[in-house]
Amino acid sequence: MNSQGNFDYQKEIEQIKDRFDFDFVAIALVQSAERRFELRWVFVTGNQSNRYRKIVLQTGKGVAGRVFKTGKPMLVEDAETILGKNDLFNYPIIVTERLKSFGAIPLYKYNRVKGVLLVGYRTENTLTLEGFTEFQQVIGSEFGPFYNKEMIEN
Amino acid sequence: MNRISDFQLTELLMKMYDNSAEAIFFFDSSGKVISMNSAARLILDAEVLNRMTAGDTKAICLSCKGYTNEQELRTCTSCYMQNPQDDLSSFQVYLETKGKGVIPYTASYQTIDVEKGIRVFMLRDLTKQYKTQESLNQKTMMKNVIKAQEDERKRISRELHDGVAQEMLSALVDLRVLKYMSIDGDVLKKVQQTEGSLMRLLDDIRHLSVELRPATLDDLGLEAAFRTHFKWIEKNYGLIVHFTAELQAKRYRGEVETVVYRICQEAVFNALKYACTDDITVRLFEEDGSLKLHVIDDGEGFEMNTTNPKGTGLGFYGMKERAELVEGKLSVLSELEKGTVVFLEIPLEKEGEPDENHNRR
Repeated sequence: MNSQGNFDYQKEIEQIKDRFDFDFVAIALVQSAERRFELRWVFVTGNQSNRYRKIVLQTGKGVAGRVFKTGKPMLVEDAETILGKNDLFNYPIIVTERLKSFGAIPLYKYNRVKGVLLVGYRTENTLTLEGFTEFQQVIGSEFGPFYNKEMIEN
Repeated sequence: MNRISDFQLTELLMKMYDNSAEAIFFFDSSGKVISMNSAARLILDAEVLNRMTAGDTKAICLSCKGYTNEQELRTCTSCYMQNPQDDLSSFQVYLETKGKGVIPYTASYQTIDVEKGIRVFMLRDLTKQYKTQESLNQKTMMKNVIKAQEDERKRISRELHDGVAQEMLSALVDLRVLKYMSIDGDVLKKVQQTEGSLMRLLDDIRHLSVELRPATLDDLGLEAAFRTHFKWIEKNYGLIVHFTAELQAKRYRGEVETVVYRICQEAVFNALKYACTDDITVRLFEEDGSLKLHVIDDGEGFEMNTTNPKGTGLGFYGMKERAELVEGKLSVLSELEKGTVVFLEIPLEKEGEPDENHNRR
């Protein structure tokens, strides 16, 4: 499974979850050429169901798709008011995991977004801008084989 | 037929005069109202009535808002009252009625006694007929709007699939050739990345095309289109659709196929959005000469008569409207905590001769 070296993603995201008391942490990664470079949720912790396994993400759609396409972090403090109740179904991972407040950052490799790191809470307005910034700082400019472009630019 | 006596005829005429829904006025040669029936009294304003009984020959003009001639919808030029010699056996007139505003009537104004110059003016309310006409128009319009929408979607979908996606594919093939040329590691890496982006982009374009209107629906029919759609739903939303199809005919009329596809799509989306469930069941089958579709979920369900729906509350209305276009019936059953079932039933033509053209261009 682990083609990315010795970096233990599962352990890493569990540590992140414990440190910030997140309810849910997940990593989406671009799959290999044999799997048509699909973007899928690969490492997950704190999940309520296994529905995430079935989802293939589309660029520009959903949380990961958006971060993947724009290459920018995304913070949603209150899902229902910001994304709109009727639009929420376009964010399947948020709906199935019942996340109310979440943020996601792009993971870069060779100047390309290769993955997305999603963190979230199941209560509204729990992830604030300060919290999200702090989280980004803790992750730092490097995350395993990836780096965080925003951090390097600053 | 037995001839009836004059006495009986008089009685029948009196009954007609008293009970008819048509307003009847009798005018003498000077334009005074001699008599009018109860239906006539009912539609006229009290003041007009007073002036009429007082013998005012212009009283009718207070109510009359003009009649329709070849030039105008409502006009007073060459008023029918002034020109009784014209053929006035049937024309349209607008009257200001008591409590109902201006209403169109079919009128006739005929001389029934040449010697004394007595004329009868009869009015038939047209509102009901107009309403029937209007709902017919609305239905035709609705049909056309939906057809226009489907046609346009089909056009763009084909354009994306046959034009843009094909070009993209040949670019991708060119790029793959590049990988086998002697290029150094960095360039190869870049080429691979670009290949990944292009492949995802190609997938996106294909999705877009299918989302607009699946070509499989036109080319292969309902079952194939549904299978593709449900696979896509699973990939995108992680929702599993258990689909069974027991169809005798492979193809149906293009219109029927579109309606079934769109209604099912909407019903599945509703389940996806509001039912909070991981899987749903879709059955498509024929029974008693009808094509039937059941969309069943065991999710949260909703209260049938709620005034506060989770979505816009217009989804089912739209589905019903679509079903009616092909004489289909749509019903929904839901119970809180138990789930929701959507039933669609479309009568199939007896001859069962499928239209050869379907939706192909």
